Amino acid sequence: MQIRYLSLVLLLWIFSGAAVAQGLPPLSHSLTPMDPPIPAPPLSLPNLDEDKVALSDFGGKVVVVNFWATWCPPCRREMGSLERLHQATAASGVEVLGVNVGEDSDTIFSFLGTIDPSPTFPMLLDAEAETVDRWGVRGLPTTYVIDREGKVRYRAVGGREFDHPQILEAIRALAK
Amino acid sequence: MKGIAGRRWAWCWVFCAGLAWGNDTQQHVKDPVTGAETWAAESGGVFLSLTQILPDQLRAFYVNRGLTLDQIEPFATSCVFMTVLRNDSAPGPIHFRRADWRVRLDGKDRALTPTDKWLTALRRQGVEPPGLIAFRWAQFPREQTYRPGGDWNQGMLSVGLEPGQSFDLMASWRVEGVAAGNERGKLILKGVRCAD
Repeated sequence: MQIRYLSLVLLLWIFSGAAVAQGLPPLSHSLTPMDPPIPAPPLSLPNLDEDKVALSDFGGKVVVVNFWATWCPPCRREMGSLERLHQATAASGVEVLGVNVGEDSDTIFSFLGTIDPSPTFPMLLDAEAETVDRWGVRGLPTTYVIDREGKVRYRAVGGREFDHPQILEAIRALAK
Repeated sequence: MKGIAGRRWAWCWVFCAGLAWGNDTQQHVKDPVTGAETWAAESGGVFLSLTQILPDQLRAFYVNRGLTLDQIEPFATSCVFMTVLRNDSAPGPIHFRRADWRVRLDGKDRALTPTDKWLTALRRQGVEPPGLIAFRWAQFPREQTYRPGGDWNQGMLSVGLEPGQSFDLMASWRVEGVAAGNERGKLILKGVRCAD
């Protein structure tokens, strides 16, 4: 019993928390740099109120674009941390955009109500899954960080803890 | 509660043991609640795991995405695994193509069932675009590049075997930015078994 307890302490120390505590693969804590940075592809999609939102609307800001779906386990797990990132960086000129792939607004609304904290950043609908292909996404979730000049500076393939200090620091540095 | 604790331990040991015990150490655990088995190993900073998805779990998932039981039955019984591949600390970005992976059964190698084959069949059966989109994106990617530091995906992988059959999975990738001769990476999961 004592060995088991000590092992658990060690494991939780290594992976610090949430993912292991839920018995799931751990979320990553870092963003991978795009070298060299490339211009972000166009993005213009309806939001949940059916108003068009374009990446170009946020010119001069750092934008985090997250492609996701409600049925994708790592997407579900990282969604709360995206909202915490949004709350922590909005005042610094950082925008977060969620791009849902292939689902309807009812499904998305139902899901968002289950997330704590519930996302308040714009959710866009890529109903035909065309934008996700245009961006070269190959698996969900995939997240891009666009700098103030409209270039992709970081990419994250797979689930992340977006409110991890390492990620917050990288995004804040772009916004300065 | 006991079940949840059991699952915690299962995943803890799958992930941590691979890191702690180094290259090519294969782990095998069984979820005490669902009975689903996981095989996992790590090589050169790359982690791979296969977890059985039970046919009933697949039926429920896709019926919730608008498919009928008849439409999804061939896929649900095709030996499907939840697959995780992750570049924790390879010496560079890794690039894989699922078409390069092989299944070894009774000494013979065979390719995995391509996602496009399933999509063609589902389209013929009249599955609507939202169902096709969900199907396509829930699969493990056809190809992908993972940079070191934790790029990863989790998705479904159809092996195309019968329930209960055992096989070895040979996964391979190319490591970018390393000296010639060191660019090929591979991992073999041995004795993986299709869910009944």
